[in-house]
Amino acid sequence: MKEVMEEAVLLFLLLVIYTPDAQGTRYSPPGKPELTRCRSPEKETFTCWWKPGSDGGLPTTHALYYRKENSDTIYECSDYHTAGENSCFFNKNDTSIWVNYNITVVASNALGSTFSDPVDIDVVYIVKPNPPEKVTVTVMELKEWPFLRVSWEPPHKADTRSGWITLIYELRVKLEGDDEWEMHLAGQQKLFNIFSLRSGGTYHVQVRCKPDHGFWSEWSSTSHIEIPDYLHREKSMWILIAVFSAFIFLILTWSLHMSSHRSLKHCILPPVPGPKIKGFDKQLLKNGKSEDLLRVLVVSDFPPTTPSNYEDMLVEYLEVYVPQEQEVLLEESKDLHDSCLKFEGSTSDNDSGRVSCDSHTLLMDKCGEAKEEGRQTDQEDSTTEAEAQGQQKDWDQDTLMYANGDILSPEKSSGRVKTWPSVFSPLPQYTLSLPDQTSSLEMAKQHCYSDSLFCPGSTSSYLTHLGNNDNETLGPGSWEICLSNRQPYSHIPQMQTCQQVRSHSDVNISTIARKQEPAGLPLPFFRPTAYVEVQRFDEEDMVVLQSIVSDHGFHEGFPQMLQQEDYSKVKGVDSNNMLLLQTEAMKEDGDGTTPHKPTAHIHTVVSTQDEMAQPASGYVDTATIFTLPTY
Amino acid sequence: MVSDSSLNHRLTLLFLVLVCLVFCRNLTSIGAAPICTNAQTGCQALSLANLFDRVIQHSARMHGISNDLHSEFEQYFLPSKNQIGRVSRNCHTSTILTPNGKENAQRMAREELTEVILKLLMAWRDPLWRFHQGMAHNHDFNNFSSNKALEMSDMVHELRKGVEKVADKMQMLGIISNSVSSQVSPEALLPSDSAEWHLMRDYDLLYCFRRDSNKVQNYLKILKCRIVPEHGC
Repeated sequence: MKEVMEEAVLLFLLLVIYTPDAQGTRYSPPGKPELTRCRSPEKETFTCWWKPGSDGGLPTTHALYYRKENSDTIYECSDYHTAGENSCFFNKNDTSIWVNYNITVVASNALGSTFSDPVDIDVVYIVKPNPPEKVTVTVMELKEWPFLRVSWEPPHKADTRSGWITLIYELRVKLEGDDEWEMHLAGQQKLFNIFSLRSGGTYHVQVRCKPDHGFWSEWSSTSHIEIPDYLHREKSMWILIAVFSAFIFLILTWSLHMSSHRSLKHCILPPVPGPKIKGFDKQLLKNGKSEDLLRVLVVSDFPPTTPSNYEDMLVEYLEVYVPQEQEVLLEESKDLHDSCLKFEGSTSDNDSGRVSCDSHTLLMDKCGEAKEEGRQTDQEDSTTEAEAQGQQKDWDQDTLMYANGDILSPEKSSGRVKTWPSVFSPLPQYTLSLPDQTSSLEMAKQHCYSDSLFCPGSTSSYLTHLGNNDNETLGPGSWEICLSNRQPYSHIPQMQTCQQVRSHSDVNISTIARKQEPAGLPLPFFRPTAYVEVQRFDEEDMVVLQSIVSDHGFHEGFPQMLQQEDYSKVKGVDSNNMLLLQTEAMKEDGDGTTPHKPTAHIHTVVSTQDEMAQPASGYVDTATIFTLPTY
Repeated sequence: MVSDSSLNHRLTLLFLVLVCLVFCRNLTSIGAAPICTNAQTGCQALSLANLFDRVIQHSARMHGISNDLHSEFEQYFLPSKNQIGRVSRNCHTSTILTPNGKENAQRMAREELTEVILKLLMAWRDPLWRFHQGMAHNHDFNNFSSNKALEMSDMVHELRKGVEKVADKMQMLGIISNSVSSQVSPEALLPSDSAEWHLMRDYDLLYCFRRDSNKVQNYLKILKCRIVPEHGC
C-alpha cells in the first residue's frame, strides 16, 4: 500500500515536473511566413526573400517550393544561402523568363508546419539591376565656362551588349552643403554634361539605372569633384558692376547738385513766361468775368488814343469851361479830392480799369476818385443840381482858368508843387502837399466827367450823363488817359492834365451829350470845350495859354474858335472866385475878333470857395481857389 | 437668316476640308519616305539599322499599351486575385516555341528568331480584333480602354508588316536565308469559334498579350544587336 502510494506520488511529481507550464514556454506550430520580395539583377537569375513568422518556441525550418506555369511539378529551392538568410536563390538553370512562377514558403517545426501565401511572379517584371559602375566625373572647360562631364558603365552583370536588357540611366548632382539634389535623366546614353556650375565648389554626383520594365537600381557611390575658381571671369563681372555703380553715383550727384542750386524742373523745363498785360487781372480770368477782362483790354490805351509822340506828351492842355458849372465842378472835385486822399492804392475794385490804379505810378486819388465816382454819383446829383441852377448865371462870365493845384513854373515852384518830370511821379505827394486841393480835385473829377459830357454849362445834362454813365466806363478811361499824357510843365496839376486828356478823348461823347441839352442853354453851351495850351507862366504871374487845334469832329461847328486862340492872361478873379482869363492878343494874332471870342468862348472852371477869394494878382493859387465845398 | 445658316454650313465644311488637308498632309508626311526593298524604284532606302530601330520602337509602344490595359483590368475588373486557380492559364500562343532565356535566345538562329517573332505577331491579329470588338459593344469599358484595344490591334498588324519588311531586307542582304516564310502555319491560329477561345477571358487575354509583346520586343532587340550591333547595343 505504501509502495503504491509512493509510486503515485512519484508519478504525480513527474507529471508536475514534465507537464509544460501554462505561464512558461508554449510550443506551437510555426507562424505563417511571408514572401517579401523577389528580385532579379540581370533577368537571368533571381532571388526571393521571406519573413518568417513566430517560431512557436521550437526550432523551425523554412522551405521554399515553387511551381512553374503549365506544369504540376513542385520544385524546392536549391540554394538557401547564396542570398543570405531567409532567401532562395534561383540560378540560371532554374530561371525561366516569361514563365509564371508560383512560389510558396513553408515553415515547419516539431509541432507542425505552416504554409505561406503563394506568390506569382514573372521574372521579366522583377528586374532590379545593380547600380552603374565606374562613374567618372571630370571638369571640362568650354570657352572659359566650366562644366561637368559624367560618364559611367552599366553594371557588369546586366547584359546590355547583346540587347537582352535595355537600361536607362539617371544621375543627380548637388553642391556639398545643399540638401536637394538636381536630377537629370540621361536615357540610354552613358555620358552626360552638367552646366551652370558654381566655381569654387565641390559637387556630389550619383548615377542609377532601370530596365524597360522594372525597378530603379540603387544610387551609385558618390563621386566628388571640385570646381576650380575662375576668378578672371568673375573679375570682369565685378568691373562691370563697379562701372555701373559709378555711373549711377554720378547721376545721383548731378541730380542733387541740380536740385540744390536750382530746381531740376527749371533746368529741364524752364518756365514759360506768361502774358503780362497791364491792367490784366488773372483773378478775374479765373472768376470768369470776361466782360471785365475785355474791358481792361479795351479801356487800356491801346490803340493809343492820345498822341504818343513825345512832343504831344509835352503839351499841356487846359480846358476852359463855362463858369456856370463851377460849383458843380467844385463839389465834384471836392469829392474827388476827398476820395483821392482816402484811398490809397485800393485794388479791390471790380472795375478792371481801377487795376491800373494799382500801379505804383498811378495816383492814389485816382483810384479813390474812380471809386468815389460811383458812390458820390447820387450825392453829386443832388448837390450839383442845386448848384446848377445857381451857376446858370455864370455861364456868361469870363472864362476862368481852371487850374487844379498850384500853377507854378518849374522854377518858381517851391515845395508846394513838385515838378512833374514824368507821369509816374508819385502824385500822392503832390496831392498831399495841397491839402486844399480837395475842391480842385473834385473839380478835376468833375471836369473829367464834364469833358465827356456836352457843354459844361448844362448841368442837368451833365448830371444826366453822369448819372447815366457808369462810373466804370468813365472813370478808368479818364485816368488812363490822364496817365498817358506827359506833362513837362508841372504847373499844371495832374488833375488838370487828366481832365484835359479826357476831354480830348471824350469829345465825341460830349458832342452827343450836348445834343441832349435843353434848348434853353445859351449858345456858349453848345460850344465845344476849348483846349488851351499853357505855354508859360508869365513874370506877371499870368498863365499864358494857347489854344490848341483839336482834331475831334465836333469842332467843325466852331473851328475858328479853337484855332490860334490864346488864353494867356489871367484877368483876374472875380467875386465868385473864378479865374478870368483874357486872350492875349499879342500872342497870336488871329483875326480881330479873337479878343472877343475868347471872352465869349472862354469857359473857365473855377472852383473856389467864397472865403477863399483871392485878389487878382498874377499868381493864382489854385489851391486856395479850388476848394471843394463840403457837404 | 437662311443665308446665314447656309453660309455657316459652307464655312464649317471649308474648315473641315482644310483641317483634313492639314492632317492628311501630316499623315502622309510621316510616310513620306516609303521603305523600299530595292532602290531601283527611286524611293529612299532605309538602312537595316534604321529599320530595326523603327520596329523596335513600334514594339515598345505596343507593349506599353498592352501593359496599361492589363493594369486597368487588374485594377477594376478583377475582384479577387485568385492566383492559385491561375496556374492553368493557357495562352493560345503557348504552342509556339519561344526561347525562355538569354542563352536559349542567343543560341537560336536568326531565321528562327525572326520566324518566332512573325508567328507571334500573326497569332495575335485576330484575337485582338475580337477583343476590341467585344470591348466596343460592352458598355462596361470606357472609350479610353476601347481606343487602346483598337490601337493595340492595329499596332500588331503594323508591327507584323514591319518585321516582314525587316526580314525581307535581311534576306536581301543575305543575312538570313530564305527559309523564313512570312506565312505562319495555321496551327498557331486559334479557330474563331473554338471553345478554348471563349474560355479565355479578357483578363487572361491581356495577360498573355502583354507577355508576348514583351517577347517580341526582346527578340527584336536581340536580333538587332546580333546583326547590327554598332548602334546602341
